Amino acid sequence: MKSADRRVLTVAGVLGVLLLGLAVAAPGFFQLGNLRDLIVDNSLVLLPALGMTAVILCHEIDLSVGSIFGVCCVVAGGLAQAGFPMPALLLLIPLLGAAFGALNAGLVVGLGVPSMIATLATMVGIRGALQWFTQGAWVNDLPAGFQWFGLGQAAGQALLVLVAAALWLALSWMFGQVAAGRALYAVGADADAARLVGIRPKAVVSGAFVSLGALAGLAALLSSARFTSIQPSAGTGMELQVIACVVVGGTSILGGRGGLTGTLLGVALLGVIATTLIFLHVNPAWEKAIQGAIILVAMLGARSHSVDRLPAERPVAGRVPGKVVRP
Amino acid sequence: MPLLRAADIEKHYPGVRALAGVTFEVEAGEVHALIGENGAGKSTLIKIITGAVTPDAGTLSLDGELLVDHNPQTAKARGIAAIYQQPALFGTLTVAENLALGLEGAGLWRRVDWRERRRRAQELLDRVGARIDPDALAGSLSMPEQQLVEIARALGAKARVLILDEPTACLPEGEVERLFALLAELKAAGVGLIYISHRLDELAQLADRVTVLRDGQYVTTRAMSQVDKPELIRLMVGRELSGESNAPARPAGAPLLQLSGLGCAVNGVHDVDLTIRRGEILGLAGLVGSGRTELARILFGLTPADAGTMAWDGQPVRLETPAQAMAQGIAYVPEDRRRHGVVGPLSVTANTALTVLDRLAKGGLVDARREEDLAVDLGQRLDLRAASIHTTVGTLSGGNQQKVALARWLAAEPELFIVDEPTQGIDVGAKSEIHRILGDLAAAGKAVLVVSSDMPEVLAVSDRVAVMREGTVVGTLARGEATQERILALALGGAEVVG
Amino acid sequence: MTEPTRLSTHQSTLRRWFPNHEWVLLILLAVEVALFSATGRNFLTVTNAFELVRSGCEVGLLALGMTLVIITGGIDLSVGSMMGMAAITLGWLNNVAGVPIVPAIAVALAMGALGGWMNGALIARLGVPPLIVTLGTYSLFRGLAEGLTKGIINYSSFSDAFKALGNGYWLGCVPRQLPLFLLVAVGVWLLLHRSVFGRQLYALGCSKEGALHAGVPVGRRVVTTYVLSGLLAALAAVVYAARLGQAKADAGTGFELMAITAVVLGGTSIDGGKGTILGTMLGLAAIVMLENGLRLAGQQAEASQVMIGVLLLVAILGHRFGTGGRAGAVASTSRDSCEEFEMKNYQVAILSVAMLLSALIVAGSNKKVAEQMSLLSAAPPVAATQRAGAPPPPPPAKKLTIALMPKNKGEPYFLSCKKGADEAVAALGGQVEFLWDGPANPDPSKQNEVIDAWITRGVDVIAASVENKEAISTVLKKARAKGIKVICWDADAVADARDFMVQQATPEGIGTALMDEAARVMGNKGTFAIVTASLTAANQNEWIEYIKKRLAAKYPDIKLATIEPSEGKRDVAMTRTSALLKANPDVKLVMGIAAPAVPGAAEAVVQSGRKDVKVIGLSLPSLCREFIHKGVVDCIVLWNTVDLGYLTVHAARALAQGDIKAGSTTMEAGRLGKIEIAGDQVLLGKPFVFNKDNVDQFDF
Repeated sequence: MKSADRRVLTVAGVLGVLLLGLAVAAPGFFQLGNLRDLIVDNSLVLLPALGMTAVILCHEIDLSVGSIFGVCCVVAGGLAQAGFPMPALLLLIPLLGAAFGALNAGLVVGLGVPSMIATLATMVGIRGALQWFTQGAWVNDLPAGFQWFGLGQAAGQALLVLVAAALWLALSWMFGQVAAGRALYAVGADADAARLVGIRPKAVVSGAFVSLGALAGLAALLSSARFTSIQPSAGTGMELQVIACVVVGGTSILGGRGGLTGTLLGVALLGVIATTLIFLHVNPAWEKAIQGAIILVAMLGARSHSVDRLPAERPVAGRVPGKVVRP
Repeated sequence: MPLLRAADIEKHYPGVRALAGVTFEVEAGEVHALIGENGAGKSTLIKIITGAVTPDAGTLSLDGELLVDHNPQTAKARGIAAIYQQPALFGTLTVAENLALGLEGAGLWRRVDWRERRRRAQELLDRVGARIDPDALAGSLSMPEQQLVEIARALGAKARVLILDEPTACLPEGEVERLFALLAELKAAGVGLIYISHRLDELAQLADRVTVLRDGQYVTTRAMSQVDKPELIRLMVGRELSGESNAPARPAGAPLLQLSGLGCAVNGVHDVDLTIRRGEILGLAGLVGSGRTELARILFGLTPADAGTMAWDGQPVRLETPAQAMAQGIAYVPEDRRRHGVVGPLSVTANTALTVLDRLAKGGLVDARREEDLAVDLGQRLDLRAASIHTTVGTLSGGNQQKVALARWLAAEPELFIVDEPTQGIDVGAKSEIHRILGDLAAAGKAVLVVSSDMPEVLAVSDRVAVMREGTVVGTLARGEATQERILALALGGAEVVG
Repeated sequence: MTEPTRLSTHQSTLRRWFPNHEWVLLILLAVEVALFSATGRNFLTVTNAFELVRSGCEVGLLALGMTLVIITGGIDLSVGSMMGMAAITLGWLNNVAGVPIVPAIAVALAMGALGGWMNGALIARLGVPPLIVTLGTYSLFRGLAEGLTKGIINYSSFSDAFKALGNGYWLGCVPRQLPLFLLVAVGVWLLLHRSVFGRQLYALGCSKEGALHAGVPVGRRVVTTYVLSGLLAALAAVVYAARLGQAKADAGTGFELMAITAVVLGGTSIDGGKGTILGTMLGLAAIVMLENGLRLAGQQAEASQVMIGVLLLVAILGHRFGTGGRAGAVASTSRDSCEEFEMKNYQVAILSVAMLLSALIVAGSNKKVAEQMSLLSAAPPVAATQRAGAPPPPPPAKKLTIALMPKNKGEPYFLSCKKGADEAVAALGGQVEFLWDGPANPDPSKQNEVIDAWITRGVDVIAASVENKEAISTVLKKARAKGIKVICWDADAVADARDFMVQQATPEGIGTALMDEAARVMGNKGTFAIVTASLTAANQNEWIEYIKKRLAAKYPDIKLATIEPSEGKRDVAMTRTSALLKANPDVKLVMGIAAPAVPGAAEAVVQSGRKDVKVIGLSLPSLCREFIHKGVVDCIVLWNTVDLGYLTVHAARALAQGDIKAGSTTMEAGRLGKIEIAGDQVLLGKPFVFNKDNVDQFDF
């Protein structure tokens, strides 16, 4: 916990310095409208990132989240066209996402396919199927009540942010204070030992995948509701963005360590880069380079005080990280 | 009525009969030892009792009540706890949470009370006399500390049946005493203890009864007071053993490696002066944590020395990496066989060739035929029991794995052989064979350094014994003067050493 | 004491030849070959086999390096980005700095090795997990490549000798890449399976600690592995540049996932320590053949994505099933109970068979697919039946096969073109077999692959909308040499690579029209911003060039504030527009120059509540209609895209049947009537301005 806290502090520090710098160089960044835009946009990244944190805490990974997001967007549009009311969609679309999550869970937990491969397969397969069936056509002519759930822009945005914030709060509380949340950490630290203390790793890992699916579905619906039509290529490339947010936030890719405070900061840090460049009038061509540098710096910064590298003489309880001992 | 009774247990794995009609029971307030060679079926029996494995036939009963639907969770609820050789703690979680995970209910939707967790953890740690911060990460604790946490966990679980699988294998002497005191307390409190150990001397001190398994079959159960060590060994192996007879004394050769003032700040070794000679076996004794393994790791270049000098055949050398040490002619058979000693998923061939690839290669390409010949040759020399040289090493028994670990270094034909706990967790038969191999090496003019916690072993094989304490060598005893008492006195310090 | 026994050296033949159950893949390949030989045209030919090598070469090179990396228990996500980095290094050195090609290649390779070293050093020396390090360098390398070239620069003046490496032949039919690729493959095979290095790699892949304790210099080996991976990525970039005749920052985008897929499909364990080059090559063959075969069978390539996903699972499960045959050995060490293991085998067997069967059904029954597609997609059923369908028994009259390629299948722009094409095909009745295929994102290398497949399949006319002139021209010339008629539409290739160009509007015309419209809306003064597709998008960059020229020439009081990329995504366009409006409050007009960019920018303007900002751009009426009515979008500039598709099919038919040839001045084009031909340009008409008065007349 202590080391996780420090990682979180590292990211918070980088973010703080960045914001301070912006306050000097481009105070316009802090105008209300821009902050509102940033919060709305990043809320949509935060949702799947919450689920991804759970999956990574279990020492698994999910590459299919972008494809699930895409399918959910298109199906949401289709159902809305078919006359389903928005409250029903709010239930159905996360359920659809959860179903895809369950497919991943079945492959990983039921058939024992490594999650990297299983979700690579579902990522490619689901995206391919979506392109095949839609042929890239947008879903247009959505009913009037689709955009902002018919609530109007201000209320719609507020709803979106509130949902994300509430889920973040609830899951943060759960990760820290509820046995199910702690079980994620235990399974990620050592699945076999977890079984011995009465935790069912398969149930926990399945839960993480299904939650991620459901959250991706919810994010898809909320994201689509910002528009009056739906682009089927939505969510491409989302998986790496979300994974980057989670690991920059200090959650260990080896499982068992990290948390949602870090994820929130990770989302915030990577989420402000593009806007920052616009306000600093820097050529956007540099965006990816800066993002890459931040990922590397965050990892290196966190490294120097992590417990990953115990002195080699000391036996490490639980899973030994797959590190290379310096010869 | 026994507290726990396992009756007529049968368990088959494809091609293997792990247990055939074994009956085992433990009374409340009793220490019941369970012994047998590796592969005798002890682990399987333990797994069945803890619910990790379902037997093919047979019954388990607690207080005379038949246990149905037995799995790790129900076993825990019924007060059956186990402590394994390697502590099974969650490295990235705190001590308090580790203790709680074993003790709290299994419901996933419970609220976690951190204050209560911390309070209980402190209380349990106090009871086992451990000074450990409940908020420390378990992964940052030392092995003995982790074991104490495990015992605290079993205490907290109000275990009625406590199974200990080789609990002293990694404990320093002082800690062993404390463990035994703790176990005595538990026993007095009416806990039934099942105790598994290869250290037969410990059993005499601790156990009330002993049950012997051999090849998955029940052999006998005796009161501990009625059997002696040779008898137990006979029961375990089913044959008389030549025993721990001392090898013939060898003439000591020229010094091979001379250490003076050697130290390494990282692992606490300092000011080591030691000479290792050709043609002798030098035992390295000391408590766990006294720096024996750490010294071995320095010599093999795993943690390079940062003070003092080393001289090889009189020439100064620096050993910065294992590759350098290897090139110099040093071999190191590490303590942790599964993780370090062999590469489990690879075949016997790949393992034996690993240290000598350069010699098997022509122009950078490895000659597969020579590789296989080497494996066959070494297998024969060490009497390795495996289906074929393509068998995966991970599937072999502990003794055979250790032979592979030795074989890979025999192939390299080093001048200095360092073996760390060469016979830990290995059955008696394989043990004497490994001692024979070490003796042969010394007879062939190689230098052998044996690091071992098993004092009789050190005495049996060594020409000289060096004793370490707190990171440095505190004395060297010649064969004639080395006794268990004197080694212990040096290792513990304080006591006067009689010359 | 028993007599020491001599250990058996026996090893089953199956195990010796296929140490990692590669036979599973061989079966899959055999199924694929059988299937596509039956359904695909000219699938089982030597030429096609060689073309497969050409299209698989670059990913293959990456996969070879990736195999080594994954065997160490690592992963390298950065290889695709490294291709971009190496490509621009090569391009800049050769085209700009004037360095001869050989040293330029050497420096590009060194760049790859350097990047790989950086990965390796961070992983081995600092102990950061490979996934994280290479996720970082995945962004970093691509970002540097884009930043250094601003995404725009496209190095394309390479010598013909260099380009021949990518497109030339030995002995008339062997692609030049083949010897190179074979050489590298054999080299890596020797390295992994015969050398000391390879033996050590397996050991450290299984257990780093175990290898270290056997004196293996683990850190150095890991670094070397990533260096090799980077080096091979750079080599792949060289081959890529030679094949396309261009070097740009977007080279190799997405290739890392294809390489990983090939490696994993080949049975290499993601946990390390297990895997073979043979497996990787078979995995690569399975993927490449799948795409190629579906294409030759006249199927959509999306199907291949679905099936790659299925194949991955089938192979992994089949692999486990294969291993399960030796359950005895496994179970004695497995921590799982035996029952569970046997149960799994059973399930896996059933599942594998079920998946294989479903794959066979999907791939085999073209009719079924066509029906499903017509049911599930909005496309008119008649078109669906036309475009699908394996070659039926030879029809009485000679049936024309016309193949149309868009730049990007998923673009609404091209979808509307397809609408017109479908209409024309339907009008021509049964005379025409119509193929519509292309990249799923703007990818010049994919375009070449598709055309190669069409050549092999033997179509009558190819009509291509060209992503990159230089890149595609060689392959189009090859088509012409084989007697296939070639038309370009929408975007042109070099003049001697095609018979006619169906011209809707020149980039200059578009750029000028856009700038003029913008100036009109802004009253000839003020500041505006552009939202483009991606910074590397070739078309958009050309339009921007002419927009800037027009701006400089005619509108001194108008200022261009910024150009923001939108990655072809509407929501990104919205986010960027929102931010740029706030960062540049004086911007009064946003010009979106990609179909999704206009509605995205418009939505941002609506949400910002700014009434003084207008949006114009290049997009489709259907995407912008509501914004035009709301008055947010003043107008969009475009031609009638449906007509463009319609005309292209007619021109193709006319060309194939000899109705038009060089020197013709008019042609009949169905409902469009008489169309003028100027030189080799079939003229559709001028760019059209859609505004609120006329937008409702168009349904595309």
